[in-house]
Amino acid sequence: MSTEPVTDDERKQNRYHFDRHTPEYREQFTEVTAEMLDKCPVAWSDTYGGHWVAAGHSEVFELARSADYLSNDHDPANERRGYKGISIPSPEVAFRGGFLEMDPPEQRYYRQLLNPYLSPAAVARWAPLVDEIVRASLNEKIETGRIDFVDDLANIVPAVLTLGMLGIPLEHWDLYVEPIHASVYTPPNSPDMPRLQASRLAMRDDMMGQLSSIRESARPGLIHALATAEINGTVPPDFELLGIISLLIGGGFDTTTALTAHALEWLSEHPDQRERLSAERDTLLNPATEEFLRYFTPAPGDGRTISADCELAGQQFKEGERIWLSWAMSNRDPEVFPNPNEVDLARTGNRHHSFGLGIHRCIGSNVARMVFKRMVTAVLDRMPDYLCDPAGAEHYQTIGIIQGMKHLPATFTPGPRIGDGLDETIARMQVLVDQQRLADPVTVRKGAVDVT
Amino acid sequence: MKVHVDPERCQGHTLCAMIAPDLFTLDDVDGHSSAIDGEVPADLEAKAAEAIRSCPEQAISVIP
Repeated sequence: MSTEPVTDDERKQNRYHFDRHTPEYREQFTEVTAEMLDKCPVAWSDTYGGHWVAAGHSEVFELARSADYLSNDHDPANERRGYKGISIPSPEVAFRGGFLEMDPPEQRYYRQLLNPYLSPAAVARWAPLVDEIVRASLNEKIETGRIDFVDDLANIVPAVLTLGMLGIPLEHWDLYVEPIHASVYTPPNSPDMPRLQASRLAMRDDMMGQLSSIRESARPGLIHALATAEINGTVPPDFELLGIISLLIGGGFDTTTALTAHALEWLSEHPDQRERLSAERDTLLNPATEEFLRYFTPAPGDGRTISADCELAGQQFKEGERIWLSWAMSNRDPEVFPNPNEVDLARTGNRHHSFGLGIHRCIGSNVARMVFKRMVTAVLDRMPDYLCDPAGAEHYQTIGIIQGMKHLPATFTPGPRIGDGLDETIARMQVLVDQQRLADPVTVRKGAVDVT
Repeated sequence: MKVHVDPERCQGHTLCAMIAPDLFTLDDVDGHSSAIDGEVPADLEAKAAEAIRSCPEQAISVIP
């Protein structure tokens, strides 16, 4: 079809009032999604200055893989075209969120730099360490018969691992967890904001301190790669590197926490499926993980900017227009997923979009899968009869940024501790990480960490 | 039949290697997939089809 001149009204005849930042969107997600998929898989919404919304699976597939026409660039200083990156609306204090808010070739240089730390082979080296952190986290609660799966497990393990990969001391995890987690769910007008701001500043100070200390005295990890990087022949400024470190931390923490909490809550509500998953984990754990990713879509979407007039997915777009690619809604498209609103642990053909698509595919996807599987199987083994308390389970009020949970308390039949507690284990793991240079890239160091 | 992974389309989602580890290998450095050489054994043809169907980037094809 050729791109013939049409009026804006004609281009925008598919309209839908879409506001993903309201509690109503979370409450009515299934209905809104079904309606958009049925009537307007690509629609114009008047919210946040007006933007497109792509919900259909085939539409999102085509759009997300058209990086020549959809830009991720965030340019708050207006040095290029002033594009606004992946957040809709853009935050009041705008800074560039790492390579997720860059276009090629710059974006590609950073990905190539960091891939050897985050590939499946690189991530597998950390699995025995993750098992140790999981074991120790569960030890802290196993004798009491009570646990909060968010606070006591799913917040801790991804944080400790992410810091290890970055080259930040593992024991700093609690300095990072609270600001990252609370930033996602605390509204700007909350009375808790001043405290949250203070913890954010403490985190940022630590991050800057780590960057300069790693520059002075080399210590392996993602930060070392960034601190010594030349991108296209130039040394990137510190604020750019801090944006990337923040992206890796933001991506590594709350998303995996959200997936784990939702999956554990669902398994508590479906004890027969929990038993089945535990018994058949050799064949079921992989497809079940993909199904939880599809159904709960921790990161529900990304914004883009149309970078040239074009027609894609049957829709004409104009340069400069903003578009929201909904991974979460496209993951419910009945054209691709039979019974899309049901969890089928053995689902096949699960082409979900939960890690995005195309050149910006989540660089931490291998980390997320590994950590999730280790946490869930350990819970199935050590707390097989756990029961989540619906009265204490607290979901994020809105799902505009992350579909997550604040708290997920549960009870279970108490069991024995195995080995040491969390602080001792973290201290022990730090020695191994340093001695065995576990945070080196897989091009330099191969083989799993020896935790014996 | 043989299978082929288009390196221009593959983005390293790794589902193919999860579904059919005997048919696809992942690069150590970037995790991108490539197909093993040679014919797909008859008993793995269903797995190959499932991997093709599951690829988020639709990067895998059959070479007759």
